[in-house]
Amino acid sequence: MKNQQLSNLVGATDALATHRPTRILRLRTMLHVGTKMMFHDKLKFAGTLFGVFFAVVLANQQLGVFLGLLSKNTMFIDNAGADLWIVPASTQTLQPGKPVAMASLYEARTTPGVAWAEPLLFGGGSVSLPSGGSEQVTIVGTKAPYWHGGPWNIVAGSVDALRNPDVMIFEDSERDKLGGLNMGSVREVNGHRTVVGGFTWGLLPFAPSYSFAEYDYARVLLGTPSDQTSFVLVGVAPGNNPDSVAATLQARTPDYLVLSTPAFHNRVLRYLLVSTGIGATTAMSTAFGLIVGLVIVSLSMFSAVVDNIREFGTLKAIGCRNEDLALLLLVQSAFYGLLGSLIGLTQISAIAGFMRSPKLALVLPWQTYACTPLLMVLLCGLASLLALSRIRKLEPGMVFR
Amino acid sequence: MKNTNERPCVINVNGLSKVYGWGAVAFEALKDVDFCAAAGEFVMISGPSGSGKTTLLSILGCVLRPTTGNVTIFGRNVSNARENELPSLRLSLIGFVFQGFNLIASLSASENIALILELRGWEPKNAQGEAAKMLAEVGIAEKVDSLPRDLSGGQRQRVAIARALAGHPPLLLADEPTANLDGQTGLQVTELLKDLARIHGSTVVVVTHDPRIHNLADRIVNLEDGQIKKESL
Repeated sequence: MKNQQLSNLVGATDALATHRPTRILRLRTMLHVGTKMMFHDKLKFAGTLFGVFFAVVLANQQLGVFLGLLSKNTMFIDNAGADLWIVPASTQTLQPGKPVAMASLYEARTTPGVAWAEPLLFGGGSVSLPSGGSEQVTIVGTKAPYWHGGPWNIVAGSVDALRNPDVMIFEDSERDKLGGLNMGSVREVNGHRTVVGGFTWGLLPFAPSYSFAEYDYARVLLGTPSDQTSFVLVGVAPGNNPDSVAATLQARTPDYLVLSTPAFHNRVLRYLLVSTGIGATTAMSTAFGLIVGLVIVSLSMFSAVVDNIREFGTLKAIGCRNEDLALLLLVQSAFYGLLGSLIGLTQISAIAGFMRSPKLALVLPWQTYACTPLLMVLLCGLASLLALSRIRKLEPGMVFR
Repeated sequence: MKNTNERPCVINVNGLSKVYGWGAVAFEALKDVDFCAAAGEFVMISGPSGSGKTTLLSILGCVLRPTTGNVTIFGRNVSNARENELPSLRLSLIGFVFQGFNLIASLSASENIALILELRGWEPKNAQGEAAKMLAEVGIAEKVDSLPRDLSGGQRQRVAIARALAGHPPLLLADEPTANLDGQTGLQVTELLKDLARIHGSTVVVVTHDPRIHNLADRIVNLEDGQIKKESL
C-alpha cells in the first residue's frame, strides 16, 4: 500500500520535473525581470547609461573629426567632375608636384572614348593684406567656358566673373582672414592686382583655402610655362568604360599616372591612413573612448550584481540556471547598449550640427548610425562578462547563511 | 530512519555526513545522519546554533552536496545527481521559505510569485492569475502590486510562503521562517504555512530554534553536534 502511494507520488513529481518552459518564454521572463531590476536602482541605471553614452559620443566625435579630415583631403577630387585624372607619377595626394606636359592633354583629347579633356592648374598663392601681412591660399586655375574642376558651391557672384582678366573667387569662410574681403575688394595675389568676383562656401581643405582663377590668369599668377600644367582632367564619353579608356590613355602617356576618380580618391585615403600617423592616432583615440565606456559599463554591471548578490543567490536557489541569469544580463546589456546609443547618437548629431563649419565638420555617414548600436550592444555584452563570472561562482546555498 | 505514520517516506536520508574544509581545519557539520519525512508531514528540525540544521536543510534543498551518504527525494537520488540537473530539481520539486524573506526587491508581490511559475513553464497571464490567487490564500490579496519595501515583515513572509507554495511543489523547506518576525506574527505565519501545505499536499521541513512554534509540528527532530539526538511527536 505504502509502495503504491510512493509510486503515485513519484509519478506526479516526474510530471513536474519534466515540464520545461520554451526558450521564448524563458527569454520573456528574463527580459521582464532584467528590466525591472535595471530600473529599480535608478542611480546605477543612470551611471551605466552614462558610460554607454560617453563611449558613443567620444568614439563618434573622434570618428567624425577623422572622416571630416579625410573628406577635406578628397573633396576636390570628388567634386571636380572628371572621370579620369592624368597626374604626375609620384602623386599621393592632391598637391602640385612635378608638372604635367601639355602634350598629355592633346593625347587625351585624341584618345578614343574621351569626351573632353581640360588642364587644371594648382599652386600656392600669397594674398597681401591691407594690414601689411599676407595669407596663403591655394590657387586653382580652370578653363572657361566649361569650368571643369570648379569653382562650385558659389554663394556670391558668378563663375562667369572669372572671364575678366584679373578676377578670382575666394572662400567665404576665409573673408576675415584675408583682410575683410567683399565683392569687388582688391588684393594683391602673388604680386598681381586681383579683384574679388565671388565666394564659395566650404572649399577649405586641410591646407590653404581654394581660390579660383581662370586658367590663363592662374598661369600668370603661378608663373607656369604654357607647355605645362598640374593635372589633366578627362571626361569619358557616354557608353564607354572609364577603366578601359584609362588603360588606353595610360598606354599613350606612360610618363604619368592615369587614375579614375574613385582610384585617385582611394589612393589619397590610403596614403593618409598608412603613410601618415592620422589613421593610427584616430583609431587609438576612438578605441580609447570605447575602452572608457567598456570599463564604466563593466564596473557598473558588476557592482549591480554585487549589490544584489542575495537576489541572484535566491534566483539560483529557486531553480534559475546560469544560462537564465546570463540571459538576464544579456537583456540588460542589450538595453543599455541600445538606449545609450540612441541618446549618444542624438547628442553627437546635435554637436555635429552645432559645429558645422567649413573649418571643422563632423562627418557622420549613415553607416556610423547603423553600426554604433550594434557595436555598443556587443561592447555591453562584453562588459557583462565580469558580472557573469561573479554569478557563475555564486553558490545558491548562500541564501541559507 | 524513523517513519512514525503509515504514509510513505518521500525524503530519505541515509548515513549523511558533511565535512567543511580539510586537514587540520576540517569541520564535520553532519555525522552519519538518518532521516525520513513522510508525504504531507510537517517536520521541524530544531537544535542550537551550529548543530547542523541549516546544513541539513541545504542538502535537502539540493543547494549543497553531502560528503557521504544518500539523499532520496521523491524517488530521486539527488546526492549523485549531476550539477546541471540540480536547478531543475529545485525548481520542480521544492519550494523555499527563507529567514530573510529573499523577495526580489524590484518585483511586486504578485510578480515575485509569478516568476517561479514562469520559470516552470507557465504562461505569464496564467502565472499572474495564480499569483493573485495565492496572495488571496495567504490573506493579502490587496497587496498584489506592492513592492516588498512597502510590505511589513509578516506580509513579506506571507508573500514568500505564497511563492514557495505556488505551483504546488511536493516539498517545502523553510529556514527559520519566524526569525525576523514578532512572536504573534511568527505563530500566525507558521500556522498559515502548515494549513496551506496540508491543503496543497506538500511535505514541509522547517528549521527553527523558536520553541513557540514547536507545538505546530507533526514531529520534531533535535540535532546536536551534527547528530540526531532525539525525535519527538
